[in-house]
Amino acid sequence: MDRVFGDKKAISLFVLPTLILFVAIIIAPIFLSGYYSLLKWDGIGKGVFIGIKNYRDLFINNSDGFGKSVGNSIILALLSIFIQLPVALILALVLARGMKGEGFYRTVYFIPVIMSTVVIGQLWLKIYNPDYGLLNSLLKGIGLKSLASDWLGDTNKALISVFIPIIWQYTGYHMLLMYASAKSVSEEIYEAARIDGASSFTTAVRITIPMIMPMIEVCITFAVIGSLKIFDLVWILTRGGPLHATEVPSTLMYNTIFNQYQYGYGSSISIFIIAECLIFTLILQRVFKSKS
Amino acid sequence: MNKLLMKAISLSVAMVFVLSLAACGTSNPSSTATTVSETSEATVTATVTPKPVTLTLWHQWAAPNDGNTKSFRAVLDAWNQKNPSSNIEDDGIDGESYKTKIKTAIAANEAPDIFYSWGAGFSKPFIAANAVLPLDEYLKDGTSDKLLGGALANVTYNGKVYGLPTSLSVASLYCNKELFDKNGIKIPTTFDELIDAAKAFSAKGIIPIDVGEKDLWPGMYWYDILALRTAGAQGCQDALNKTASFDAQPFKDAAAKLQDLVNAKAFNDSLFSNGYNEMIADFTLGKAAMCYQGNWLGGSCEDDKSLVKGKVVVVPFPTLNDDKGSADEFFGGAIDALWVSAKTENKDQAVAAVKFLTENMSNKLYEAGAGLPCWKVTGVDESKISPLTKQTVDMIKNSKGYVMWWDIFLEGKDADTHKNLVAQLFAGKITPDAYAKEMQKLNVKQ
Repeated sequence: MDRVFGDKKAISLFVLPTLILFVAIIIAPIFLSGYYSLLKWDGIGKGVFIGIKNYRDLFINNSDGFGKSVGNSIILALLSIFIQLPVALILALVLARGMKGEGFYRTVYFIPVIMSTVVIGQLWLKIYNPDYGLLNSLLKGIGLKSLASDWLGDTNKALISVFIPIIWQYTGYHMLLMYASAKSVSEEIYEAARIDGASSFTTAVRITIPMIMPMIEVCITFAVIGSLKIFDLVWILTRGGPLHATEVPSTLMYNTIFNQYQYGYGSSISIFIIAECLIFTLILQRVFKSKS
Repeated sequence: MNKLLMKAISLSVAMVFVLSLAACGTSNPSSTATTVSETSEATVTATVTPKPVTLTLWHQWAAPNDGNTKSFRAVLDAWNQKNPSSNIEDDGIDGESYKTKIKTAIAANEAPDIFYSWGAGFSKPFIAANAVLPLDEYLKDGTSDKLLGGALANVTYNGKVYGLPTSLSVASLYCNKELFDKNGIKIPTTFDELIDAAKAFSAKGIIPIDVGEKDLWPGMYWYDILALRTAGAQGCQDALNKTASFDAQPFKDAAAKLQDLVNAKAFNDSLFSNGYNEMIADFTLGKAAMCYQGNWLGGSCEDDKSLVKGKVVVVPFPTLNDDKGSADEFFGGAIDALWVSAKTENKDQAVAAVKFLTENMSNKLYEAGAGLPCWKVTGVDESKISPLTKQTVDMIKNSKGYVMWWDIFLEGKDADTHKNLVAQLFAGKITPDAYAKEMQKLNVKQ
């Protein structure tokens, strides 16, 4: 076995099928999209090469609220970093200390992650329903009738109403990553800390968090990229409406390609999303490197 | 530690598994549809000639209990039984996914021999890409005479006919008569009465009119019919065909009338979070008094599960007093059609199949109360036709003109812009003047 894994030729042979798939399914379409983004094309007939006009329409002469949609996705990224990840971290630290019912809670928090997004979307549609929804019924039940509203239909409330389920859904995912990492910290270190009289709070802040920092960095990267390319829940809950209040770049891209037949222009949005994700990843890595 | 890692891995494997199951779940309807056709086909081919031609047909009639699906299956089986030498193999998926599927297939030059598509703007790119076979030569055998007047308007491009319609659709005002009677309110025949009725229902805590504006098009129906009343069918056609301006008084008036309704609290409060399905649910549960929709709503009202069965009446949209449009002009037309791919190797068989399928579906749909005929009706037992369908057919008997759904008439981006502008009217974010100016931009841009 060791000899096979030591053989560079054997390794390259084994990774070849995956490489082919990866190139065919991920890399090639990216380059194709890059080419399409230079065309004026309805997706069916012949495309006309128009250079960077689509990008100029996107960034300079924009009229379809692209800037706002990017802003929305950045709001989501910030919410993920400053609300979702801290919550996940606290849950992970508490669970990792070995409390009673650890396995039970771990499973409960992880359930939203294994559920299909469509199911979650339908669930929250029912919660937010203005007529019979759980949230409005609850508010009416405790005498806060004035707060009840059409959560997904009000342009001022729709954005935050859509982001809450997204953040809720992936909290368990980040929790599990951090929890697994916290569990792998050597027990001897904790013992030493206990002997020195460190409280559990001090242990968590001074020992566990620094030890699992690499995993936290991974979580931040995942959270930011996931937010920038979010599509599914937004689409199910509001389709980017009402009046584009919850538009994010991916929903805008879907609309331009499949409802407006602007395949070229839509491709330029997709290229933007790819570039945006790459740039943010690089920035984050730079930041993490300089910190450590 | 290893145990934990194993757990994490098995959890993620479980996750992948669940997700892939979910993916299978969504594709179920189409797979059941194909099995049905395969079995029916198998029984036929067993008894017949060797070397039959197999035609492929794609459609969007996949929902099991839908009236369209039932009629289509019956007609398809009849064709397959009568024509063993040119059997049809069909494949159907539901509405929105079908739009993506057919567009992708035509772009990739992989269209089936026969396909379902919407007429007017939706199929325009297909025609422009020369993907569809012109049918004029094939219609000279008397087929044209069998069609009702105006039935081919939406499948004709540059003077050539490309598709054959299966049914006529028309929108009308559905009123829950029980709610009107109980509250002593008159079913409106003029716009002023509509406003009064809306105010009266609103005061009693009943939703006057239900609209599912999350999907955008149900709200668009309201603007479009108001414009049909203010500008008349000809006026709308001219503006839509870019030969007249949208920035004109009738179109501003229609926008103002829509906002009058909004200000009179005529629509449900939840209009922006409810889509088409919620709208239908509200109306068939008897929560709302009125709904302006296409004739397919009739099927939902007459369904055994509907709480308003037998309590609904269909009326033409109210008239305005000082306008060009009359109550005999309707919003709708024949838009559901079957088309033959220009690339098919069996042109004659495919065209014959399209003729057979569309004519018989028109009859079958009418008989089942699921659609209005666009071919001359033959062999239909009229006594079985549902009251709502009869009312609709009576209503359109003297029709003087039709205007197709604007989002189908306009193309892609223009349709989207129009729907979003109407949504802004509903939200009060745009004035009628500004609305008309924005609409006219569709006509003057490059």
